[in-house]
Amino acid sequence: MTILTTRAALNAVLRSELKRHRETVFLGETTRDGGAAGVGIGLYEQFGPDQVIETPVSENGFFGAALGLALAGFRPIVECYSADFLLVVANEIINDFPKWRQQQARPGALPITVRGCMGANRGLGPEHSQCMESYLHHAPGLTVVVPGSPADAAGLLRAAIQSPEPTVFLEHRRLYDVVGEVPEDEDFVLPLGKGYVVRRGRDVTVVAWAWMRQEAELAATTLEAEGISIEIIDPRTISPMDFDLIKSSVQRTGILVVAEEAPLTGSVGAEILARVMESSRDGKYRATRVAMPNAIHPYSSTMEREILPDAKAICDAVRELTRSTQSKPVIAHNAAVN
Amino acid sequence: MESTLADSRDDLSLRTHAHPISAQELIKTYHLMLLSRRFDERCTQLLRQGKLVPHYHSGVGQEALMVAPVIPLKRADQMIYTHRGYAHLLAKGISLKEIALDMFMKVGGTNCGLGGVMHVSRPDLGVPGREGVFGGRFGIAAGLALAAKLRKTSDVVVCFYGEAAGSRGILYEALNMAVLWSLPLILVAENNGWSFTSRTEWLYPQGRMSRVWRGFDIPVDVVDGNDVDAIFSSMTAAIDRARSGKGPSIIEGLTYRLDPHIWYDDGLYQPKEEIARWRERDPLVLAAARLRAMGRRDGELDAIGERVQAEIEDVFRAVNEARDARWQDVQGLVVR
Repeated sequence: MTILTTRAALNAVLRSELKRHRETVFLGETTRDGGAAGVGIGLYEQFGPDQVIETPVSENGFFGAALGLALAGFRPIVECYSADFLLVVANEIINDFPKWRQQQARPGALPITVRGCMGANRGLGPEHSQCMESYLHHAPGLTVVVPGSPADAAGLLRAAIQSPEPTVFLEHRRLYDVVGEVPEDEDFVLPLGKGYVVRRGRDVTVVAWAWMRQEAELAATTLEAEGISIEIIDPRTISPMDFDLIKSSVQRTGILVVAEEAPLTGSVGAEILARVMESSRDGKYRATRVAMPNAIHPYSSTMEREILPDAKAICDAVRELTRSTQSKPVIAHNAAVN
Repeated sequence: MESTLADSRDDLSLRTHAHPISAQELIKTYHLMLLSRRFDERCTQLLRQGKLVPHYHSGVGQEALMVAPVIPLKRADQMIYTHRGYAHLLAKGISLKEIALDMFMKVGGTNCGLGGVMHVSRPDLGVPGREGVFGGRFGIAAGLALAAKLRKTSDVVVCFYGEAAGSRGILYEALNMAVLWSLPLILVAENNGWSFTSRTEWLYPQGRMSRVWRGFDIPVDVVDGNDVDAIFSSMTAAIDRARSGKGPSIIEGLTYRLDPHIWYDDGLYQPKEEIARWRERDPLVLAAARLRAMGRRDGELDAIGERVQAEIEDVFRAVNEARDARWQDVQGLVVR
């Protein structure tokens, strides 16, 4: 084990995987200077222009090129400068990558890794702050990964790069400078599609990923002092989602809170609640969601903080559900749910 | 009176015939063009009988521009084709039987009812597949070309496209990358006068799909898209350039869609006189005349015609005998 920031952990994985296969290539904007958020610092110097390819700001063009490279047997890692821009390439990542092999009935590897930094980080505004997983989890065949700690970021990124499936790997901006223990082993991988019990608990199941996992851990400490024990599950991948792990936890606790940073409507949490409720034998589960209101991220970081879900919102949701049988979603600032 | 492609053919700038097509290549081209034509005619006949011909897009009138650019390619060269006409695929070595089984959603084709004729693929023949949204192809083609360059092979990528795909911004992005990185990419614009019910000149300046790309300082050739010789020589020059690392080229072929756009289209918006004018320049008639000029006798051409007829009968017999694809045939493949 070594102590690393998430940024450094990701950088080390990119290095080891570019070294592992010469036909692993890293494409993106400003990659000669480390790319988005500096995650790729030093890669160009080490691997050169045949493996680290700086592209114009032409996402459709170079995401399409990633597919062409994968079809030719390469293993492209393609970086989106801000995950919000994945909407620019929705055609490539939703219509092309996951459908390609299916519509041609050709099983086999299509190892494309899409990386992008996402999430609110104090006032970057409506197009550089969104959590993107809820836009993507509806797409059949697309793997969506959302690490919530430095070690998870390392093990999951390596798994994503080595996976034969087209995979979107979403890095929350606020995690980049979070420090944690990371295995130094260059073969360290965590399984995709498997959730992780971050903290065992008795009373309430809290599902949280990416930055919200950190908020959930803060909430757990507060709630413990009040005599409420929460079990935190980080699904690690949004798609495929480890519903079994969540269901078995809720079977014990009977209460579910899903905490996510994205807006409430059509959220990943909605799908998790639906699946868990469908699995209830007696209809007695209580469940709710913590999410952002259906609003844009304001440029004012003061205003943004008012609407971002956090540990306090998780505590509120947990307290409410442990007291009452009525479930209603908790969103900050009493914003209207629509 | 509005000018149409049929009227304005004054700005064709044909390349000198650096690589004239050989008699053998011309016979092969003619055979595949005729096979494509007869298949389309049979599909149209089935439609008139009220039968289903799923996603059929007739390539009648465009056969020269589909086949001639593919004839000089090697097996490892990659080809991205369009949804219109099936002759690109035939020319790259895919059998008409496979194409037809895909079209009629049978087992035994390349995709077992999942992609139909819109997504025929044979990666082993340099046909990795087709995207269905128009435009995405340019990025994919650039990526395939980048792969060839990174591996230092001399393989090239040929990307056919029509008016719809060529209107999307990704063409600019892919072309910029292709020029920037000197990628072995050849774009073949199929200017057939119409984009469904829109005339090409309503969509592109002066009705030319390639005019705006002249600014890229790469070869941008406008050729007679019904003239096998003109296409072949332009294409071989572009292939030489790509194989020698000099980068991309664009070839725009001027041709004409003689049939309606799609199975449910009556094509009544296409003036009869315009169609009649282009029928006089039917690429098959021109190719046959060229073969005769090279000394081939009518009997030889008739023999090709008979062979094609037999192939068509075999293919439709196979389609009739084949089983419909069902979900259970592919379930393990597509659900997780």
